[in-house]
Amino acid sequence: MTENVDRETYSAARVRALESLLIEKEIITGETVDKVIEFFEKDMGPFNGARIVAKAWVDPAFKERLLADTPSAIAEMSFPRGMAGAEGENMMAVANTPEVHNLIVCTMCSCYPWPVLGLPPYWFKDPTFRARAIREPRKVLKEFGLDVAESVEVKVWDTSAQIRWFVLPERPEGTEDWTEEQLAAIVTPESMQGAAKVTVPAS
Amino acid sequence: MKLQHYIGGIEGLEPSSFEKKVFVQPWEERIFGIHVAMMALSNHLEAVKSVPTKFSSFWTWGHLRQGAEGMNPFDYFKYRYYEKWLGGISGFFVESGYVTEEELKSKTDAYLANLLAPLPSGGEPAIDDQVIEYLRLGDSPACDVEVQPKFKVGDVVTVKNPPPVDHCKLPGYLRTKKGVVDEVYEGAYNYYFPTGDGVGDPMPIYNVVFDSHDIWDSITEPNTKIYVQIFEGYLEDPA
Repeated sequence: MTENVDRETYSAARVRALESLLIEKEIITGETVDKVIEFFEKDMGPFNGARIVAKAWVDPAFKERLLADTPSAIAEMSFPRGMAGAEGENMMAVANTPEVHNLIVCTMCSCYPWPVLGLPPYWFKDPTFRARAIREPRKVLKEFGLDVAESVEVKVWDTSAQIRWFVLPERPEGTEDWTEEQLAAIVTPESMQGAAKVTVPAS
Repeated sequence: MKLQHYIGGIEGLEPSSFEKKVFVQPWEERIFGIHVAMMALSNHLEAVKSVPTKFSSFWTWGHLRQGAEGMNPFDYFKYRYYEKWLGGISGFFVESGYVTEEELKSKTDAYLANLLAPLPSGGEPAIDDQVIEYLRLGDSPACDVEVQPKFKVGDVVTVKNPPPVDHCKLPGYLRTKKGVVDEVYEGAYNYYFPTGDGVGDPMPIYNVVFDSHDIWDSITEPNTKIYVQIFEGYLEDPA
């Protein structure tokens, strides 16, 4: 009966069949997958990275510590236990400045700093992005809506071993009197991978 | 060569899609959760020895990627990210004897008839506790081993060009290229298993910087540097 079924329906049924068999065979439980998903909705996601960025914007000494020793600086803040957990064992932050724009890519796979950014979005996993960003980053960024002048040095970081990078984006103008909480609310996951700048939403 | 190792730099592609979703179909998060559970219940983790799961295999990112790198390279580009995971992971469970293809097929047919049919419930809560604990603790490749790095910051190094293996940690575009050591990471790092091309045992890792023109000559952009962390096993002194 599978011949006439569309690709997504087939995959949906096949993964449900697999999960069902793994539960029956006592490999996982009826709740395992839900608990994993919940972990990334509540504990580990881009909302953590946004708080780190906002703190670095308002506290220059913290920013310095974050860039010098990222895990220790993160450990100063109150987060759920596990900020050095899976895919966060060796995280490092790099800062965008008026002279340098950083872009993170994983050309071989999809390495991503889970505790601060959660799970990688599709653009980051896309083989087309992985192929092109490493050779023509400005062109790709322009397609994403970000112009990086030739006078600005572009550093592309290809994650191929232990480090999981994230970008400390530049603080947008016009936010000088904002609170840390207000600032965290405008920091996007894309900006923390160097694929976008942080902007003040039009009110 | 293996095409999957040479994705960085491929020409002639369309504009990239800026799709910001993590999962583009609801079913994708289920296969993601299964893969996380497998990594969390892998037999190489000390904590798993007392966990009442029937999973008894060694399963890591390395195993998932070895599967993707082992695909027919033209097929690799036909499937979406989590479609490859579903194919690789269900194939692993069948090949390892946990489930049979017949069981999987008949269950799939049953869910095709009614996708909303419930999943089984129950199971040992200690399994879920380990899965979440794994996420909080991670599985660091840092090893408590003394190593003497061969290279120091500022050294010019050449990237080796070993024959292709089942799973490789060296981006293809770097092979034979010269770069400069920008950072020597403290300590030693192993990989989940020996890849057969020089990586696996604890060794130093370097951050090596390349001028994009040294890699792609005229078909790249000005004022662009590429930083890559490379295991010592992939580096040598320039000839």
